[in-house]
Parts: sequence; C-alpha cells; structure tokens
Amino acid sequence: MSVEVEVFGQLSPLTERHQFLRLKRPVLVREVANRIGLKPEEVGLITVDGVQGDMEDTVEPGCRLCFFPYMSGG
Amino acid sequence: MKLLRVNMSQLQARWEPVPSSYEQLGGRALIAKMLLDEIPPACDALGPHNKLIFTPGLLGGAGVTTAGRLSVGSKSPLTGGIKETNAGGTAGDTLGKLGIKAIVVEEQVKQGAFYLLHITGDSAELLPADDLRGLGTYATSDRLQERLGADCTVISIGQAGEFLMLGAGICTTGERDQRSNHAARGGLGAVMGNKGLKAIVIDKPVGKTIPFADAELFRKTARAYAQQMINDPKLGTQGSQHLYGTASIVAAVNEMGSLPTRNFSSGNFQQSTELRGEHLRELILTREGKIGTRCMPGCVIACRNQCVDDTGMPIVGTMQFETIALVGSNLEIGNLDDVARLNYMCNDFGLDTIETGAALGIACEAGLVRFGNTEDILSLLSQVGEGTVLGRVIGNGAVVAGRVLGIRRVPAVLGQAMPGYDPRSLKGNGVTYATSPQGADHTAGNAFGARKEVNPLGITGQKELSLKLQIIAAMLDSTGLCLFARPPVIADPQLMVDMLNGIYGWGWTKDDLNRFNRDVLRNELEFNRRAGITPADYRIPEYMREEPLAPHNTVFDVPDSELDTVFETL
Repeated sequence: MSVEVEVFGQLSPLTERHQFLRLKRPVLVREVANRIGLKPEEVGLITVDGVQGDMEDTVEPGCRLCFFPYMSGG
Repeated sequence: MKLLRVNMSQLQARWEPVPSSYEQLGGRALIAKMLLDEIPPACDALGPHNKLIFTPGLLGGAGVTTAGRLSVGSKSPLTGGIKETNAGGTAGDTLGKLGIKAIVVEEQVKQGAFYLLHITGDSAELLPADDLRGLGTYATSDRLQERLGADCTVISIGQAGEFLMLGAGICTTGERDQRSNHAARGGLGAVMGNKGLKAIVIDKPVGKTIPFADAELFRKTARAYAQQMINDPKLGTQGSQHLYGTASIVAAVNEMGSLPTRNFSSGNFQQSTELRGEHLRELILTREGKIGTRCMPGCVIACRNQCVDDTGMPIVGTMQFETIALVGSNLEIGNLDDVARLNYMCNDFGLDTIETGAALGIACEAGLVRFGNTEDILSLLSQVGEGTVLGRVIGNGAVVAGRVLGIRRVPAVLGQAMPGYDPRSLKGNGVTYATSPQGADHTAGNAFGARKEVNPLGITGQKELSLKLQIIAAMLDSTGLCLFARPPVIADPQLMVDMLNGIYGWGWTKDDLNRFNRDVLRNELEFNRRAGITPADYRIPEYMREEPLAPHNTVFDVPDSELDTVFETL
C-alpha cells in the first residue's frame, strides 16, 4: 500500500512535487515529512485526505497527504 | 487634520476642522462612527440622506509599509447595512499626506449629471464630467491622468456605478500606470453614481509629510514592524504571498473542499491545477509579465501581478484568489487566460468580481449560459456595460439574479455574495459571514489558515475564533493596514500602539487599542440594528444547512444559538 504525497508552493523545489510512498504500517505525518526531506518548520499547513491536520497525525496507507507552505487567506 | 465635505446638491466643496469626536478615528472606525452619528440608519441607501466617505486609516501617509489602504464607507444598497470596503493604490497614502481625514460626499445631484471632484493641495472643486459618462474605469483613469497629470490619483466608477448596479465597486489607481485597485464590495459604486460623482482626482502631494508627536518612537517601531514582515515566512521575499500572490491558496482551499465550484455545489474543482498560484506564476513569468509588484507605495509584501497573454500583451493586473474562485471554479472555467479576460471586463465596468461571479454562477445554473463556456459568459457579462435588462440582472448581484432567474441556491448573506470559501467546509468563515455587520465578507474575519486548534469542519471554537478575527479585522481596516500585514501586530499589539503614539502622541495602551477595535464593531452593529436588520437577516442560506457539500459531505451546522451570541463578550 502507498500514500500519495503532494507538496505545494515554495516547498516544491525541496522534494519531488508529487509522489507515492510505500508504507508497511500507519506512520506519523512527521515521519513522512522527514522521509521526503521537508523540515517541519517549513510547513505551514497540512491536509490528510482534505482534512486539516498536523505533524502528529497518523497517515494510513491509501491516504492523500499534502504539505503547504505558510500562507494566509484574503 | 481636516474634513472635506462635498455637497452634490449645491455643488460645493468646503473644508472643516475635524470634530473632537472623530479625532482618534480613521478608516473603518471613522466610517462607523460618522454614519451612526450623521445619517438616519433606515434611510434609502440610494437617496440623498446617505453619505459616501473616503478615508485613509490612522497610519495613512506616515510611510508605514503596507498601511496605505483607502477605506470607502456608506450605507450599502446591497446589504441595507453599514459598509466599509477598502483598496490599495495611492489614494490612502495621498490623503494622509495631505492631512485629509476624510472626504464626505453628501446629498445628490439634481438632474442626473456627473461631476468630477478635483483636489489640489488645499483647494477642492467640482467640475462637470459629462464627457466621462459611459466610460469604463480604465478609460476614465487614462483620460483624467492625461488631462490633470500622470502622477495624480484617480478614484472612479465605471458603467456599473453609473447604472446604480448593486454589484458596483469603486476603483483607484496606483503608482505609475497601475490600475484597478477596487473597493469592490457592498455596491458602493452605485452610491457614488447616484450622487453624481464620476471620479475624484487628487494631485500628488509634493514635499508633504505628516507631523509626528514622537518621531523617534515612530521610526523605531515602523522599522521593527517592517522587518518582522520581511522575516515572516508568509510575507517576505521568499514567502507565498510575494511569490504566488493571493492565488497561493487556490490549491489549499480546493484540497480542503472549500473552493466554490459550479455555483457553490461542490468544494472541489477538477481543473483546479490550472488555476493554482504556482501555475499563474509560471504562466506570467514565461510570458514576461510581472510578479511581485506593489499595490501600495513601499509595501514589502508585493503580492500583485500583471497577467499577459501569449503575445506578452497585458490582460489584467492583478489577478487574485477571490476572482479566480468566483469567476473561475465557480463558473467551471479552468483556464487562467479566460479568468483574466472576465476579470478585466469586471474591472472596467467597475464591478465586484465576487458579486458578479456569484451572479454569473446563478445564471449558469438557470441555463442562461453554460458552465465552463467562457465566450457565452463573456457575452452575457458584456451586457452589463450596455445596460441591457439582462446586464442589469447580472450587475445587480447574486440575490437579484436568483430572484429574476428563479434560482433558490443563492450563496449570499445579508444580500451580499459569499467570497471564495464555502462555509460548509470552512465553518469559521461561515460564522463570520453570518454575524459580521458587513455581510458575507472574508475580510471581516477570515478563518482560513487558522491552525488546527479549530477544526474547519467542526463547530467547536468557531464562535470564539470568528470574534477574535473580526476584532483584528476592525483594527486593520481602521488603521489602513492590508489584511496580509496582520501577523506582526497580532503577535505584538504594542507595535501598533507605539506607531499610533509615535504619530499622534495619544499615550494609548494595548487596552485602549482593544477598546478602539471593539468600538468599531459595536458602532456597526448598532447602525445595523437601527437600520432594522435582525438576526434572521444574517442567516446562512437554508440550502447550505441541508445540502451536503462534496467532498466532505458537510453542511453548515453551527446552531443559530451560537451565532446569536458571537458578540456577547464584545
């Protein structure tokens, strides 16, 4: 099973923009970030299957995980 | 400082000293107090008793980065309540430098003529402007700058304002050839048109600076504030706002299932990748357009862009998130060039792209034109400028379009169309839409990006979050700060206190600032109460409480009892 990972904005040059990672077990978002080379402090917003999350959330195989930089609405 | 009162019935402009009750007010705060004190709240918004106010924020003209916004206020013909809407450009900074606390436009012309208000230093006069009738905002600005100087500021309305359309906004120019900064919301362009004022021209002040009560305190604080903005990961030269503009959030709002799509019937747009800020940046840079330009002098964020076509010819500047959401995904248009063309046409007619995008979405749902068919939609939109019956239906906004076309699914609160966040999956914004005296307005308290402590899909904490954001927004709108410039003053309100004390010497504390911010909302709520607006008028449309929104299949379910007590602790 794999997890779909997409990164946005100025995070894109830091890792592959869109990738599928193989997972043997559920892992924390933080572990995924480490695995793809993102520093937690560079990440402003996280969604797991479209739901806003954080680094301590668990990612199940089959999930879609997105990392966004810091941003504000307006 | 001084006030400029402009009587459109007698065609007179006169200066007067600022009354003491207005001295410590600016921007939205001044508008709230002045409208509450000076007009009957139940008056006809398009009648002679309403007033139209142009005012810089309290920081206007002082040279604080990102603090030159112009506030425009009036009783709104769209919402029936109080309205403040603001824009970048050079007007706010210019009025501040000239020591003009506000321009107050009163009464209305008697015979349907149009006039131009020309302000030069200490003089102000009304001049006939019938030759500008029927011109869009671009041509109006061009013609007036040719006639009166390329570096003057022009505030104008387009055809939509002349036709008294409820979706009409007010446009201001910026530095050099910059156009199309819009105080777009609430139909205030119709108020300006109704008064017979086509444009205001303000000559560039030469050698004017404002006096400082404590110049050293001001300089030190303003410098620290600017540095904190530059250091902020959202705002500096490597931040999302600068690199991608407000469109930076298209992907995130879509991912969270809140991007208005197909007349607010879904929160996900399949072609959203074509509308993302990343794609916008790539497209513009490839074509040698401009990214990272400023709407206000000295802004360190610089989130504007200049969209060009594939031959390098400018289409529109700037293209922003709200426009992309309302005339892009909401109409199922997945092409930025097409969005840019619609954006240009709205700007030229002087239309709010949010209100107009929502009205066009309703027209699509009614089968008048097809979703995704740009040429048909452009053709319908072009009728606004011609003043045809159908054009007037669209130009009068979402509620009118829904009534005329027989569509019940109208995404509006207090008569005003919702911006680019569906409240069913971003419930904090839903609470703001359903409680703000400004109607459905994201700038009144935008919960997007609030961290995970308040789940956007849940109910818990939304009421408290919205109130907190609405109080902050009142401060920003009253001081002339851009919404994006909020992080440093939220983290340390003393920065704002010290900048104000440095300019005015009021000796304010953080408690004084807090009271000031809350008074803005108190005055606005009181105005709306006296105007006859009840809690029932603020409700989120019934269909959004019953019709689940994909992909999260959520409805707006914050109870009325929560909404009715948002301001309990104000």
